[in-house]
Amino acid sequence: MALHRAIVRVLDPIGLHARPAGQLVKLVNDSGLAVRIGRADDELVPANSPLRVMALKAKSGDELQLEVESEDSEKAKSLIAAIVQVLGASK
Amino acid sequence: MTLQPGAVLAGIGIGLEAVSAEVFRVAPRTQQPQRTRAGTISQEKDLLVAAVAKVSQELEAMSASAEPTNSEILQALSFMISDPELLAAATSHIEKGWTAGSALFLAVEEFAQLLAGDPHLEERAADLKDLASRVSAELNGNGLGLSVPLSGKVVLVGEEFFPTDVAQFGKAVVGVVTTKGGPTSHTAIILRSMGIPAVIGCSQAAELVDGQTVLVDPAGDRVVVDADLALATKSINLIAKSFEPIIPVRANIGSLSDSVRAATTSADGVGLLRTELLYLAQQSAPSIDDQTKSYAEIFTAAPEGPVVVRTIDVSTDKPVPFLSVDPSDAAIPGYSLLRDNRGFVLGQLESIERARASTGKDVWVMAPMIASAQEAREFTELARSIGSYKVGVMVEIPELATSVSELAGNVDFLSVGTNDLSQFLFETNRLAPLSPALLSPWQPKLIQLLSRIAKDARVAGISTGVCGESASDPVFAIVLAGLGFDSVSASMSQVGAVRTALSSVSLEQASQIAQIALSADSAESTKAMVLAALREL
Repeated sequence: MALHRAIVRVLDPIGLHARPAGQLVKLVNDSGLAVRIGRADDELVPANSPLRVMALKAKSGDELQLEVESEDSEKAKSLIAAIVQVLGASK
Repeated sequence: MTLQPGAVLAGIGIGLEAVSAEVFRVAPRTQQPQRTRAGTISQEKDLLVAAVAKVSQELEAMSASAEPTNSEILQALSFMISDPELLAAATSHIEKGWTAGSALFLAVEEFAQLLAGDPHLEERAADLKDLASRVSAELNGNGLGLSVPLSGKVVLVGEEFFPTDVAQFGKAVVGVVTTKGGPTSHTAIILRSMGIPAVIGCSQAAELVDGQTVLVDPAGDRVVVDADLALATKSINLIAKSFEPIIPVRANIGSLSDSVRAATTSADGVGLLRTELLYLAQQSAPSIDDQTKSYAEIFTAAPEGPVVVRTIDVSTDKPVPFLSVDPSDAAIPGYSLLRDNRGFVLGQLESIERARASTGKDVWVMAPMIASAQEAREFTELARSIGSYKVGVMVEIPELATSVSELAGNVDFLSVGTNDLSQFLFETNRLAPLSPALLSPWQPKLIQLLSRIAKDARVAGISTGVCGESASDPVFAIVLAGLGFDSVSASMSQVGAVRTALSSVSLEQASQIAQIALSADSAESTKAMVLAALREL
């Protein structure tokens, strides 16, 4: 499986809390792809788990590593773009 | 003990409109009876999956008919309870012999620990526990619906209501009072968006009885027993009368993106740049070059005016991986942190100086949690040996607050952190939970101390500002200006409102208002008296 990587910067002033985590899970579930997210120097967590995502305790300004598993690179790219839109800005 | 008519119960107000109606108490949820195991491990797993799916569907259904904000919250809750990782954790407990319900509670407890340490996330852990009790009720074959009156007008009084409860409130619920809960809870957000006036974190409300009439007065942060709307604190609409506020309004920021956002507000510079965020995610101390670059970017993006940088402030609940905090100093980590990590703080001061020199900005630096005039002198000497910025300290420990006169000729400025100052003032142990009402800036003891700080600083020729949460309250900002503070620094979203408030009065009027605040004897009466005086201007 091809891995597509990106870095997202969290922009919400109170960080990656329940609502953005919920929006992320919705995007991931709808795509049907395996997505992992986390701090670059740490183990990534499944992005379909809102509790693991919130437990990252990402604050505004933090950068997170994103990994999408997919053979369809167009699909992976559009999912990444949508996630970036929900969480903040790409780097 | 019954509450006498006219008794005032302090809490945190949600909303502006007041309402008066009869009390309807909701008993706290009782623990569900333990169900004995139904059968095999795989039967327990199936039961759990089915019960979680049922609760999740109910949430989705509520979400579909809710207002947009509430709908998103209910949707997020549905994702939380059906989290595959939560289910996996619960399943492993079932495999160890627990019943479906107990297994879920054990799993929820594990995730609650992962979320601990951050107040926003702890509220979510509380939501998750509420959802688990719904699943447990489902497993026991009984629903957990609230029995709330559907007609008439009632003020619901209870320990805490969860988003799932609030979504079931009908038209009869005209007000809400809780004995627990914080201003950032989902319940508070939903109540605000539904326009239901509420006072939360009001511990004395536990003594209210059914049928008693109460006034829910969110603008006054209080509940009044046996009172009608005539007694309600009128909310106030401040109108700017001059272009410039009577004292500058700066912004509190913590990152480059904040700095960019702050520049879009009407802020006059930055009154508090928290530097922890720049380091929290780092495993080792960044190089001076890297730090200089980060500071230079933030200074360049910042709104026109001074930029006040606070050197690193670390506590046990937000540890920076590469800094040591002596656990015996955990209650007051500020200056001991500087002693224990001198090399790092020197590097930070050096980086700030280089960024100041390269951007040409008016940069001020200050140290947090300074406990005495001696510590303040040590810090200013250190900082002056490194840079040509203005040097000051935060006043957030009462001992320093009462020795401001000794700082004459020593520091350029003082910045008061009212949040920590009131915590230290009302409770010696900073780590112990405190009644939310006591954290109100309207406490007479706090206002008197602020007045003393401003006066002593004026005599000592030191410029003073306030950067605590209280400076984000437009009405309190008027009191601060009237007490003699030279600037305030507010959260970015409040800069506009605070600026308007400080443009609606003259300095002379503000000091009259401050005198009124100083003459009051309780937090509730202070705010009410100040609002009344502002209306009469």
